[in-house]
Parts: sequence; structure tokens; C-alpha cells
Amino acid sequence: MQIRDYILRRLIVLPFLIVGVSIIVFGLTRIGGSPVAIYLSHEMSSEEVAEIEARFHLDEPVPVQYAYWARGVFQGDLGWSGVAAAPVTAVFPNKLAATMELAVASAVVAVSLGIGLGTYAGARRNKLPDHITRIISISGAAMPLFWFAIVMLIVFWVYLGWFPIGRSTPEVFASISHPTGLYTVDALLAGNFKAFRDAIWHLVLPAITLGYGATAIIARMMRSSLVEELQEEYVDAARAKGLAERLVLRRHARRNALMPTVTVIGLSFGFLLQGTIVAEIIFRWPGLGRWMADSVLRGDRATIMAYVLFTSVLFLVVNLVVDVVYAYLDRRVVLGS
Amino acid sequence: MTAPATNLQKTDAPVVASVRDLRVHFKSKAGIVHAVDGVDFDVRDGETLGLVGETGCGKSVTARSFLRLVPMPPGIPVSGSIMFHPRQRCTACDGAGCVACDHTGRVVSTCPACSGTGCSTCEQTGAETLDLLTIPERDLRSIRGNRIAMIFQDPGKALNPALSIRKQVAEVFYAHRSDELLASAGIDPSSHSLPTGLLRRRATQQSRTLENVLLSLPPLRSRRSAITAAADDRVAAALAETQIPNPRAVMDRYPHELSGGMKQRVMIALALACDPDLLIADEPTTALDVTVQARIIELIKELQQRHKTAVVYISHDLSLVRRVADRTAVMYAGRIVEVGDSEQIFHEPEHPYTRGLIDAIPGAHHERGRLAAIEGTVPELIDPDPSCRFAGRCDFAAEVCWTRDPALEPVGDRQVACFIHHPPEHGEAPTFDRTAR
Repeated sequence: MQIRDYILRRLIVLPFLIVGVSIIVFGLTRIGGSPVAIYLSHEMSSEEVAEIEARFHLDEPVPVQYAYWARGVFQGDLGWSGVAAAPVTAVFPNKLAATMELAVASAVVAVSLGIGLGTYAGARRNKLPDHITRIISISGAAMPLFWFAIVMLIVFWVYLGWFPIGRSTPEVFASISHPTGLYTVDALLAGNFKAFRDAIWHLVLPAITLGYGATAIIARMMRSSLVEELQEEYVDAARAKGLAERLVLRRHARRNALMPTVTVIGLSFGFLLQGTIVAEIIFRWPGLGRWMADSVLRGDRATIMAYVLFTSVLFLVVNLVVDVVYAYLDRRVVLGS
Repeated sequence: MTAPATNLQKTDAPVVASVRDLRVHFKSKAGIVHAVDGVDFDVRDGETLGLVGETGCGKSVTARSFLRLVPMPPGIPVSGSIMFHPRQRCTACDGAGCVACDHTGRVVSTCPACSGTGCSTCEQTGAETLDLLTIPERDLRSIRGNRIAMIFQDPGKALNPALSIRKQVAEVFYAHRSDELLASAGIDPSSHSLPTGLLRRRATQQSRTLENVLLSLPPLRSRRSAITAAADDRVAAALAETQIPNPRAVMDRYPHELSGGMKQRVMIALALACDPDLLIADEPTTALDVTVQARIIELIKELQQRHKTAVVYISHDLSLVRRVADRTAVMYAGRIVEVGDSEQIFHEPEHPYTRGLIDAIPGAHHERGRLAAIEGTVPELIDPDPSCRFAGRCDFAAEVCWTRDPALEPVGDRQVACFIHHPPEHGEAPTFDRTAR
């Protein structure tokens, strides 16, 4: 099957999956009681409460509430966020940009470092670099993110003071406009090197911290699959052709070793997305994750639903990309069969 | 017995490679495995040397030692040398074949140390001599796939599943014929300008990511495509030579889309792409169907004659080796026990092991439903005692066979390692007349 057909077919299924996921999560948000609490304050009379319930259709049965919510989504209305005290659609883009900037930076760290370390260790099996990489990757997979993040914060922000926390320095933030909400891109668009450096500087610590766990998993996978591939006969055949060891490793062994690793990369993206919640809270990163955490604690259903909608789409798209990359790497894979 | 005239001619042919006292051991938990333990033989120009022996006798390790493809560790290079005399294209006829090069199209490269007058480096032969076991990695790489090529047992495993046939065959040309590719693409390889430098790095497969980006941009793009086209032409020609139908279409296929026989043809094409002096064929038909086998053997023979390549043909199939090899070397437990003209060995095997092997070939002289076999199994090669390795399975073994190790010594035109032919100075010699059992 053509790759394009496969992508189209998967995209057609996407809306059905989203409807399924949203129904489940909509139902689950009711377990913590009525979502009306987020809109209330102590001074309100019972008439006022009833009025708010009617305004948000909370006096209707749950399926009808879902129908109202779904109609809102189609009209571009994701509801009112009690936590942000604003419509979800108004707050969402900026928070999304913040989270995406962090997630992409972590993914870049995890993928490049993971593949690099894994290749380096796999090619030097049972030698010192391999042992060091093993220690790095096992510790990365074993340490809980919240603990590791706090340690990083204490060491690099509190004691050493090498990296700031938050997303930017206020005066630098004010010096340029922010059309995309991605501060690094905004700085580049403005051609402001100082702003770019500031954005990168704020990004380094949370990106490395968040990416560390995924780096560990990717490096482990890459290492073991490279070790396996290096024992294949085509590697000897490549050497017998007179190829330099660098080519034998990169063009021949690594390309095949990437196949199982790509699957792991796709899976660890979910891990990364989940990690943004913890990382954003600890590093005071004003993104979706922190907003989401507050919303869950306070039962802000509109925000939770928007988040679920977004993450399920993102997750499915990432998996689609992984499938396509996989088919590109391994020509024996026939997509969709 | 007189050998046929053709074989006599081969006996006089110059030596392409000589293996001397090759010992390759392997470290294992139980001890040191003496996989190859003192192997000596010569490969002569243009001949086919069959290397036969049962599984685990060290024939593959011997073959891989030519290209230093034995993994170390666990392998331990103990001793020995593989002296190789590379050839180059005959300048008098440009490879077409003339009197100067004895119609082979190639002449022996002269020793760079003494320019052909004879010195200690080349053992007074005047021919360039390289010890394949000790030359630097860089020099070895220029020989691999260029002067010495290898075909593997299972073409399905020896081809990379992720790369197209085009890429895999083209690699050989990029590795060894980059100057020709640049010349075909109309680029002067001796120029020192930056674009030429980038293109030269491309033609020698050294380009990094950034360089590839530069090469894909307009000013260099067309010249890069010219290099690719030059390589493609050579790939198509190499594939056509192995009688692959429609080579241009096959080039874009991936290994899994081809049949086993087709894949082995591709392997042969890329092995012979640079017109090597020596081809190592490690059981090239074992993984193939019987019907395909015959055609692949024919193909190797035909191409060998056209390219005047010497072939080391490794197999456990004795009757096959008889068909393809001019001379045969029989290996047993890490040693060569008998070397000589194939027909002679088949008609009059001198070593008890060779006798046993030939008797084990099913034929008219066997009773129906019965197969002859050599009793016992191959001995453990872990820290062996000084004794004939075959003594435990030999029908004729005498006491001396258990205490001493017979050396490979001449018997007529052949060389045999057995006390039957070289009685020891002391003690009773074994003979074919008396069976030990």
C-alpha cells in the first residue's frame, strides 16, 4: 500500500478514536462530583448556584451534557476554564506553545543523545564507554522524574545558579513580540540574539531533566539492537567490500538497529508528554501540564476535556509518524496489512 | 599417474596467495579452542582450490582470515602469515590480454621496496608481497572487495535488508573506483578546488550530512548526479555480467524482493565488480535449492575464466568440489591432511580421512539402503594433545599416531599429513594393510 493511502486511512479513523476517548474521560470527570464547584464562591445563594448550573447545562443528564460539550467543540468553543478564569480557547494556544517548546526540546535531547549514546556504546561493547552508558541509562530509567527534577533544581538553580527557572526573563520577554508563543522561534523571528539566548537558557534545564528518562530508554534499546545487528553477516559482507568502519557502522548496522528503536521513540513520546506535568510544576513552566494539574485538582472539566482532546490527537499523530518512519527504514514492512 | 596437461600448466602458475602455519584460536569458557592449527597451502593464479572438510574443521575461519574477518576477540591470532601478491592491470594491452601478461590482462605488481629486483620484503621474488594478517587496516581495506573478494554462504543474510541492490553494489565502486567515477562524470580528480573536494568526498563516501546538503543544491547538484549515474552504469554492467535479467529494474529492488539464486548473483556481481585476483567462495551454494546450485556453480566457473580470478572454493560437499576445483585441500580438525590435484585425490586418496570421506559418498559400489560413514566424531579442539587428530577415528592408527603429530609432507605430486606415508624414525609405522580395530 502506498504510504499516502495509509496515512489517509489512519486519519479517517482519528475522529472516531477521539469521540471514544472523550466519552470515557467525560464520564470519569463526574466521579469527583459535580463540575459546578469550580464556578462557585462562598457568597453565592442557592438561586445563583442553580442559575450557573443552568448556564453550563449541569442540571441536565450526563449524556445531554456531553452533547452540549461536543456541539461546543464543533463551534470552536471549548468551555470556560474556572482555573484560568477565561475561555479555554483564549488560554490554550499560549500554554500549548509553552508545552510544545519544552516537549520538542526534550524529544530532541532524548532522540539525539539516546541514539548517539546507544551507537557509541553498542560499537564498543563491554568496554569502558559501554559501562558508563549503562550506568547513565539505568539510573535514568530508575530515578522518578519528580525526584530527579528537584535534585537538578537544587543543584543547578539553587547552588550553582547556572540556569534560571521559569520561561524567560521579564525584561527580555517584554523586548520582543510573541507571534508564535514559542519563545525561541519568536526571538529568531525578531532577530534578537539576546532573546534567543535567554529562551534557550531557560529551556536547557527542564528539557534535559525531562528528556533524561527517555534518553535512557532509547540508548538502551539502541545499544542492544546495534550489538545484535553487528553480529549479522551483512556487516562482515560490508567489511569484505572494503568499506571504512564508519560506513559499516552508520550505513549498515545503525540503519537496521534504528528499526526497533523508532518504536521505542514513539512510545517514549507519551512518556515525555506525561512528564511535562511534573517538569512544568517543578520548573515553574507556564504550560499545559501545570494548568492541567491545577484543573484536575479543582475539577475544572472544560480544561481537562480540552487537554484530553489535544493529547489524544497528538499521540495518534506521533504514532502515525513512527509507522511511516518505520516503513521507510524497513522496506519489508507493508503498511496497513 | 600423470596429471592432465591443463593441471600441469596450473602447477607452474605463479602463486597468488600462500598461507603458512596459520593458527587461529578461540577463547572459550572451557579453554582455548584450536580452530585452525597450522594450516599451509598455496593458491595459484587462476586456479580453483577446493577446501573441503566437515562442519567445524576450520575451513570458514581459514577463509575469513584472508580478509581478517574473524572476530577478535573471541578469536586469537596465534601465528602464521598469508602472503598475497596483488596484480594490476597490464599496461601493454589495458586488460585485454596480450603476450606480456600471458593473456590474463593482469601483471604482478612490482615490489615497491626494491622495484622488482628482489629483496627481503618480497622474498627475492620482485613481486609486491603483503602479509594480509599484519598490514595496516587502511591497506587491508583497499584490498578487501578490490583485490580479494568474498561470497558468503547465505546471500539472504549477507545482503543488508534495508538498502537497495543499487546502493549495495555501488558501494564497491565508491570504495575502490572513485577516480574512475569522477573521470566518467567529467570531473578532474586532481583539481584542488572546493567543489571538486566536495565531489571527491562524495565519490569516496566520506560526505557528512552538511556536505550532502550542499551537494544537493544547484551548482553541484548536476555533477553529483553525474557521479551517481556513472556508478549506476557500472552497477548495471556488473549485474548484467551475472546474467541477471533486466539489471536496471533489479537495482531498485530490496533483497527481500529477490529469490535466493538472484541474491547470490548479486553477491557474485559485487564480488567480481573490481576484477579481483582472488575470490573466496564460502559454501556459496549451500543455502540454495539444488536446481539453482548448478547454475550458480556454472556462473562462478564462467566468470572465473573470463576474469582469470583464482578461487578458493569452500565446501563440505566432496562431489561438488571434485566438479569445480582443480586442486583440493582436505581439512580435518584445524589441519590440512591432504592437498593435491582433485582427480588424483578422488581416485587415490592417500590420507585415511580422505579415504573415509570418499567412501562415504553414496554411489554404485554401495549396498542399497546402506550408507558408509566414518566412525566416531570430530575430536574436541580445546587444548588438544600432541597426536594425530584423526587417530581416534582412524582404522589404521598405530601407537605413534597417539603420541606425535604428523606434518604435511610431499607424497608424489601431493602433500599428505600421515605416518603411513612418512614412517617415524622410531616405533612402528601404521600401514593400510593392518587395521587397528
